[in-house]
Amino acid sequence: MVAMKLFPHVLSWCLILLILLRGFSGRRLIVVSVGTAGFVLGVAGAVFLYNSFPGNLLFGIIKSVLGVSFALLWGVSVAAVYRCTARNETLLRGERFNKTSLPAGVVAAVAGMVAGAESVCKLLGGNDTTVATVLLVVAAGVMALVVRTVEKWLTASFTVSPSGMLSSVVALLLFSASSILRLDLFSPLSMKVMKGVHDFVHQSMESILIPDHLFVKPIVWKYIGFLFGKEVGFWGGIVIWFTPVLLIALAVGSRRLPSVAHIRLGAQRRTLLAGALRNQRLLLVLPLFSLVIFAAAAYQSSFPSVEYWDPKPLPVTASQSGEILIPKKGEIDLEDGKLHKYLFKQGGREARFFVLRNQEGQLTVDLDACAICKPDGYGQAEGSVICYYCKTLIPLETVGKPGGCNPVPVAFTVKGDSVVIDGMTLINSWGATVQATTRVKEGGK
Amino acid sequence: MKRLFRVLFAAASSRAVPPVVIGLFFLFYIGIAFFTDETLITLMAFTRKSMILAALLALIPLNRALRLVGETVRFRKMRRAMSGKTKEGVSEMFDEVVELSASAAHADMENRFAAAGYKMVRSGNVIAAWRGISNFPVRLLFLSGTFCLFTGILVTTTSRNAYRQMVVEGEPLKAPDGSNGLVERITLANANGPILKKTLTMEVTPTGSTSGKRRFGIYPPSRFGGAFVYPRYLGLALHLRFTAPDMPAGYETHNSLNVYPPGKEENVVIPGSPYRIVFSIPEPENGIERYISYMSGVVTLRFKLLKEKEVLFAETVSGGGSFVRDGFRLEIPDVRRLVVTDFIEDNGVLFIWWAAIFFCAAGVLWVPIRLLFPRRGILFRFDQDGTTVYSFAEGGARKHAGVFHEMLDMIDVKER
Repeated sequence: MVAMKLFPHVLSWCLILLILLRGFSGRRLIVVSVGTAGFVLGVAGAVFLYNSFPGNLLFGIIKSVLGVSFALLWGVSVAAVYRCTARNETLLRGERFNKTSLPAGVVAAVAGMVAGAESVCKLLGGNDTTVATVLLVVAAGVMALVVRTVEKWLTASFTVSPSGMLSSVVALLLFSASSILRLDLFSPLSMKVMKGVHDFVHQSMESILIPDHLFVKPIVWKYIGFLFGKEVGFWGGIVIWFTPVLLIALAVGSRRLPSVAHIRLGAQRRTLLAGALRNQRLLLVLPLFSLVIFAAAAYQSSFPSVEYWDPKPLPVTASQSGEILIPKKGEIDLEDGKLHKYLFKQGGREARFFVLRNQEGQLTVDLDACAICKPDGYGQAEGSVICYYCKTLIPLETVGKPGGCNPVPVAFTVKGDSVVIDGMTLINSWGATVQATTRVKEGGK
Repeated sequence: MKRLFRVLFAAASSRAVPPVVIGLFFLFYIGIAFFTDETLITLMAFTRKSMILAALLALIPLNRALRLVGETVRFRKMRRAMSGKTKEGVSEMFDEVVELSASAAHADMENRFAAAGYKMVRSGNVIAAWRGISNFPVRLLFLSGTFCLFTGILVTTTSRNAYRQMVVEGEPLKAPDGSNGLVERITLANANGPILKKTLTMEVTPTGSTSGKRRFGIYPPSRFGGAFVYPRYLGLALHLRFTAPDMPAGYETHNSLNVYPPGKEENVVIPGSPYRIVFSIPEPENGIERYISYMSGVVTLRFKLLKEKEVLFAETVSGGGSFVRDGFRLEIPDVRRLVVTDFIEDNGVLFIWWAAIFFCAAGVLWVPIRLLFPRRGILFRFDQDGTTVYSFAEGGARKHAGVFHEMLDMIDVKER
């Protein structure tokens, strides 16, 4: 079971090592030794951080490193395209630096550390992880030696461009992260894109003085309204996700062929050009491979294999004084750390809410909706709840606090063995939240 | 000094400037996103306040302007080179340069060029051949578009001022710069355009002007007193009298109600009393235009009279009419149309509109030129000690390379 859990991570690590070995072909020993040491360090560091600072610190650090590497990939891809469209292509200083031991060691160490930390994150929080962690480290070391042997069998003509190497290493790290909810980047990216596009469209319309929807035909407003929807977040996220690797492929594919005009023998010219074209096609292998890995990461993020705890809301009613009373113990134990959903109906209006005991042992009552998204509700996963609409993970320790995509807290009291909620407050709070989010998401400028 | 100027010009006009600047702003955006949900607005506010950020953003229009100059100079130089008038710095403008020891043209060159669709011109010791259309006009349009777009963004971000005013029929209007006028009439009508479903016209007679009435519509917005008139929402200006059994002296006020679209509620609080009146426009029956009351000026208001939280009654009252019950009296002597209007002082808007026009024109021209008629050219310069051949292609490089190599082979064969 543990082996199955770790298989994608170890596989990613092996492929990263293989690509680095080919990319820094003159520094194989450095890549294998420093990379493996980095992996072990990553595992140890992650375990230490997780045990010393429980909460989100470890995941925040790994996510930040992944975010920075993705931003770096963007920068490299734009530079690659700019370079390939320039009239005079010259070797940059950085590319000469590329051939030395230092970058080989640094890249291998960082990639190894991130891969190691990601892999062990899959184990953290489970029971008796020590043996599994040791096995993970041993497996990573053995696989490094195997990969070194396999790399020697690869054809010599399979060369790797620096940008192609970077794209595939970042793709594999992101793929590895996408199977761990708290490390996934694609879903939060989609959410940010949705908000960013909304703000950008709104500001652009204000800037160029576009009239409000009162004056505009519904069909036109429907198209504008599309820009405010959830789909824009997803598709915008897809564009940002895939563009760097597509740009790198474009840069490799549109490199200028070598000048052969000075050669007067047609056959020699054709041979040279054919060789250059073959080399160009081989250089395209890694960017295209990265494209597939990015797609797999986005898929894994959008359709995670995690099963969320999402109980069917139980109907509750209010007493004559308008209070809803939910016993703490009974058929349902409100203090079992699980999310318990309820549905309250009154006078044609209804509100969905849940009760949860957080990690500090405090009960919290919240709407099954946030102040930003459509009220698709929340599910509970390991250490967090997830907003079904935007896939944002909310750490359990912050549930009960207002803001962002957190569930909207509802005032309640504990009287004796029951949680007491004012029915009218609940209904009004739900009404205000749902009305606000509906207006925002359905095209309100 | 001249060298320094060249270095500065090269740096400021570098192709790398826009992506670097945009990348930096993107990084600021990501950084701000960690602290606030209102990321874009915060970034705009920072740019407005910070000279450094504004100067950084200004690098893009500066770069575009310099590239416009640079590319125009380069285009003229290329034309001069192709007509044999200059040979200074020519090789930098071409993709490939080959030197041959032969020093004379082949007699069949013109036919071969014609067969490949190239036009050929001889002038002095130079032969120039080309086909297709240069993308220089498209580049000019594109660079002008990006110049206008980023200038517009810069001007808008750093200098936009907005003032909200209620434009009321029959009432004076005052622009931010002090210009005055009288709002003669406000008209809302249905439209059949491809984008707008309604037209709104505000007729204003400027004070002290001999140019007569001015009409302000929806789009594109016109300017009044230097500011764009940007209608936002519709409403009603109300003259209201209210008396209640416990306040016989009554209360009289002029109020503006933001009650459109129908169903939207707006409060009028009677000061110093427990009373509050909630007004709304009743939703018309099915099939009747929702804004018919605003269009016709015949307004019936639905209202709820509340005493603290208790609803005393809910009824309707017509504009110009009154309602009386149980000692309460609500009178509406006058109702006028009102438009909540923003007066926007922002010259950046004009730049952004021009940018849209330039981009559209560039896109319309670029697609057929790039796909069907990309410019390709070959230049032969015959000197006493040999021939220099230059080649460039803005598209269709593979086919052009075939023609180029064939011509080189022809001259080379002649040499042997």
